[in-house]
Amino acid sequence: MIEGAAWRRWVFFNIPLILFVFVLLFPFYWMIITTFRPDGELYRPWNAVNYMPFWTNNPTFEHIFYLFEETNFARWMLNTMFIALVSTLISLFCGVLAGYALARLNFPYAGGLGTAIFITYLVPQTLLFIPLAEIIRNFKLGDTPWALILTYPTFLIPFCTWLMMGYFKAIPKELEECARIDGASRWKAMIYIIIPVAVPGILSSGIIAFTLSWNEFIYALVFLSSPDQKTVPVGVTSELIRGDVFFWGPLMAGALLGSIPVAIVYSFFVEHYVSGLTGSVKG
Amino acid sequence: MLLGLFIAYPFFEGVKLSLSSARVGDPGHFVGLKNFHKIWNDSIFHTTMWNTFWYTGVTTVFKLALGLWLAILLNRHFRGKALVRAFILLPFIIPTVLSTFAWKWMFDPTFSVINWTLFQLGIITTRINWLGDPDLAMTSIIVINIWRGVPFFAITLLAGLQTISPELHEAAAIDGARPWQRFWHVTWPLLMPVTLVVVLFSVIQTFADFQLVYVMTGGGPANATHLFATYAYQLGIGTGLLAEGAAISLAMFPFLFIIVVVQLLYIRRVETR
Amino acid sequence: MAKTKRRNVLKLAGTAAVASMGGMAGILATGRMPAFAQQRTVHWLKWVDFVPASDALLRREMLPEAEKALGIKINLETVNGNDLQPRVTAGIQSGAGPDLIMAFNNQTYLYANSVVDLTEIAESVAKQEGGMYKYARAVCSDGKMFMGMPWAVIGGMIAYRKSWFEEVGATSFPKTWVEYRDVAKKLKAKGRPIGQTLGHTFGDAPTFTYPYLWSWGGMEVDPAGKVILNSPATIESVKFMQGFWKDGCDEGGLAWDDTNNNRAFLSQTISATLNGASIYIETLRRPEQYKTEKGAPLNTDILHSPLPAGPAGQFGMHLLQSHMLMKYSKNQDPAKEFLKWIHAEKNFEKWFVSQKGFATPCTEKWEGHKVWSDDPVMAPFKVAAKLGQAPGTRRGNVPLRASSVWKTSAGWRSLSSCRRQCCSACSLPIPSSKA
Repeated sequence: MIEGAAWRRWVFFNIPLILFVFVLLFPFYWMIITTFRPDGELYRPWNAVNYMPFWTNNPTFEHIFYLFEETNFARWMLNTMFIALVSTLISLFCGVLAGYALARLNFPYAGGLGTAIFITYLVPQTLLFIPLAEIIRNFKLGDTPWALILTYPTFLIPFCTWLMMGYFKAIPKELEECARIDGASRWKAMIYIIIPVAVPGILSSGIIAFTLSWNEFIYALVFLSSPDQKTVPVGVTSELIRGDVFFWGPLMAGALLGSIPVAIVYSFFVEHYVSGLTGSVKG
Repeated sequence: MLLGLFIAYPFFEGVKLSLSSARVGDPGHFVGLKNFHKIWNDSIFHTTMWNTFWYTGVTTVFKLALGLWLAILLNRHFRGKALVRAFILLPFIIPTVLSTFAWKWMFDPTFSVINWTLFQLGIITTRINWLGDPDLAMTSIIVINIWRGVPFFAITLLAGLQTISPELHEAAAIDGARPWQRFWHVTWPLLMPVTLVVVLFSVIQTFADFQLVYVMTGGGPANATHLFATYAYQLGIGTGLLAEGAAISLAMFPFLFIIVVVQLLYIRRVETR
Repeated sequence: MAKTKRRNVLKLAGTAAVASMGGMAGILATGRMPAFAQQRTVHWLKWVDFVPASDALLRREMLPEAEKALGIKINLETVNGNDLQPRVTAGIQSGAGPDLIMAFNNQTYLYANSVVDLTEIAESVAKQEGGMYKYARAVCSDGKMFMGMPWAVIGGMIAYRKSWFEEVGATSFPKTWVEYRDVAKKLKAKGRPIGQTLGHTFGDAPTFTYPYLWSWGGMEVDPAGKVILNSPATIESVKFMQGFWKDGCDEGGLAWDDTNNNRAFLSQTISATLNGASIYIETLRRPEQYKTEKGAPLNTDILHSPLPAGPAGQFGMHLLQSHMLMKYSKNQDPAKEFLKWIHAEKNFEKWFVSQKGFATPCTEKWEGHKVWSDDPVMAPFKVAAKLGQAPGTRRGNVPLRASSVWKTSAGWRSLSSCRRQCCSACSLPIPSSKA
């Protein structure tokens, strides 16, 4: 894409990209090293003579074994996956419809409604969790995944709605109008024309919604209690952070194993939405 | 409807709470704006306010600039593109609590790998007390937030970039526009709606950020890194003064509201351009 | 035309809402916990023990035993110590949650309105085991009721390196803060400073700052319950601390939580720190891993000492843990039965032994237990609970009225502002724009 000499490509493209990748991924390298490093090597002060931060000669799997044998890590992964997936789907569904309605249909209160939906997003979570706990109790949902599946959309739906609104607005109206002229109903136009074009937007808000629920901590801490219901962030912190005992190895192993599978799934999506998109716009 | 139930009700409860003298296990009674008056005269609250604005402002600027840059880089064709795109997302995917622990480990006063590197490179001679110094602690937290936020910006903006038809670019190129001009006159305006929304979300999330500071410093050293959410948590949960905690949480609301309204007005203006 | 279409979309949105409502009904039907018809259960929430063996003992051995003996199903949940409070708050405010919850120190006062009186159990244990320490009483009881059942005290003592102290001429541990500062200065000059946790955390930071303040004559409240924190003695203590910090301490300590000082000590970058017994226990557990610079096992070079004395005397505060039986609990009777069971001497002993001295029981009888005589290094911890002071009870015999002040917001406020002031006084100057 960049025209001109090779050095330009390096200066404007390769070097910045490499830097980005390096900085963004360094903490992960650090996690990997920490995961495989035996405890004895881990706790050496930074200015010790034999400190070798970037490599280890005695890799060990003990931290990973510990994670699977001593804790419910596999179970937490499943819980988190399930909760994040369901709440993302619910929120995406509502978000796409609402976003489309707000972006394309000029009904009188669209602006006001949009803002109102938005404002709900502003309510701080640290405040919300106490009254929410009451609702959860009234519905007898405490300690079930549903407690989270129903509360996560409170911050995911406004988010998806607004993000989708942005994407829908970026799609040229002409595309849709062409279809309408060809006789498609608004509904059909939305399904067959707009949605496919908006796939990258949908995927990326899906990714982000998924990540937000994957990350959530306070609600998960407060609403879930039995060890086999917990999510990864809460489980790992509550089982592996023992003030005085060393926990970095298993903790980092948990962090790593908790994110790599998702990253791999994402890589498929990313691939998909890139090719899917260019096709649909041109076609 | 559900949304209403799950948000509106707690919200009103929260407002009610902030106007009462409630403590844990004691519903208290109506005291009007007394709590707000109290926090307004609280020096830690002032620090908190300043911190929150500083934190939000700095991180948002950097996240937008770096995120946009990265998005443009990723929009090109190169080998291993899909892989890079997926892995660049890692900082965002990983549960914040856990990644923050990884950073805490890297900034650890005794074991810091960053200190080691700087020392080996001859840049420093004594260690840097990353989290023990008020200013450095804030800086550290800002760095982590940017690290966490850049992929989010990059990937949303990338998706926005991809909805822009390449033909527009080609047309502009044929007309003789330089890359920078093409970006400024073609890409940027089309990207604007998505960018604004993304910025909006990021501002709100950063403004109300909790986990990162909670894990990293708990608001310390000496309250130097408290944000609204962490200070509200400390007062409301730590000392059981629910009403005051709620008041602090709500104090965040008008600020957020103003920011949001300004941005929304701006978005509307851009759209009717 | 647009109008009808819009209706379509709205209808669709409506369907979505209905669908999710339907889903909700389904959830309500299925999400309900399966009813345990006759099974009585107790949900017990405690911290993740710093001695992992004890949690394992509870899970694998003691709780099944209790279930068999009492016919009660016990759900033990452990969370990180700093995360207990949100759980308590959510439980109280929503009226549902764990039945038994662990509280640290005088948090019991904070939740006094929401807990069940445990006087009966506490007094009977006290009677059987030679009396309960004053400290435990002051923390758990306001004179009228026991808000929590005292569980154990995590003794906080200074763990220090015998040989390093000797190298700078300190053959015994310094008696006063002034002496301690001199020693610390010499140690820091050799690159082996004192390490003290002063971050925002529940354990080692408050158990240092309170006794430190008291030893200079500072007090949070006077016997009448008036807040008198802002006193010349307090200011004096802060001033001294400032110098002590710069002269003799690892200045990273402001960022430390309860774990950092352990790691720093074990990686041999600090020569002393106030902590529970966990550092020493860890070196005993893995002698091959922790060696001094001369190659001797590190555990032979560690001794424990109480905090030095100040002009107003010598004090100690230790992390007292108790269990609150929540008022909202529907399982109060089984929970009481369980508390009685686990506090029965033969059961409690198992747990106590598994702690290896990390926790000190709250009654006098245990002082004679062989856990203490087995290892002289652990001996200082034996009396931790006996000598400890509770916040608000500095003037010895008037704890009851005084500690109730912590129920007022002014009391809590000045408590946190005390730590705040101490911390900010010791740190590098905060730019005025932020202060």
